[in-house]
Amino acid sequence: MDFVILSLIMLAIGIYGLLTQRHLLKVFVSVELIATAATLNFVMLASSMGLGLGEAFMVLAFSTDTAVSGVILALLVIVSKKYGTSDMDELMKLETEKLDEEEDAD
Amino acid sequence: MILEVLSVGLIISACLAIFLDEAVYSVVALAGTFMFTALLFLLNGAVYVAIFQFAVGIGTLAVLFLSGEMLSEKPKQKTSLKSALTVIVVSAVLSLFPIFLSVPLSAASGSGVPFGEALWDLRAPDIVLQGLVIMTVAIGIAIVLYERKNGGD
Repeated sequence: MDFVILSLIMLAIGIYGLLTQRHLLKVFVSVELIATAATLNFVMLASSMGLGLGEAFMVLAFSTDTAVSGVILALLVIVSKKYGTSDMDELMKLETEKLDEEEDAD
Repeated sequence: MILEVLSVGLIISACLAIFLDEAVYSVVALAGTFMFTALLFLLNGAVYVAIFQFAVGIGTLAVLFLSGEMLSEKPKQKTSLKSALTVIVVSAVLSLFPIFLSVPLSAASGSGVPFGEALWDLRAPDIVLQGLVIMTVAIGIAIVLYERKNGGD
């Protein structure tokens, strides 16, 4: 059982989701998977080597990660309420149209 | 043996979290990913990290469920049983790699500092500062909610 390869596969799944998914919540889930992969690698190596400091760092990183997740989720909800969609392609299209309108007005 | 089973479950739930169409089901699969990760930590001897993973994961998932309900639109097509089974089979095949392959690592050169000593003796200022930051954020949110309730901007 190798945790380095396990976390590598988790990282690959997260990056694949980040590149292919268009829904904002799915993108967030992909980011969470990438963070989980990094945590898994760090904690498993630290605990198998008997390094308490590595585990202590990860406990601190968990709370930071959660705070960042809260801010990202709040932004996602605000964006989807404002534009009425949570699809990234549609959001890009809306933003492009808005920029075109501003250019026409100038 | 149990570590192998947990790693298979971890990869299957991670794949399902990405590939399921409904946002709420995706969050449920992410909950499974968090749970399997915490169990792996627990069985590898990182008990405190496992407890933190459980606690933080439950909080994150509660917020994610709410946001998933708010953000989710009706998917154009539901995930069929066939495609879900395909995802499970592919992720089960993927999980064979960590079971049968291994990366050679150099010998452990840890200082052997126990977790409690590392957390409270070496990283105590970080913990205090982080507690202050989180408390400030909580007070800020409470002020914003209070202002909104009283009709302010």
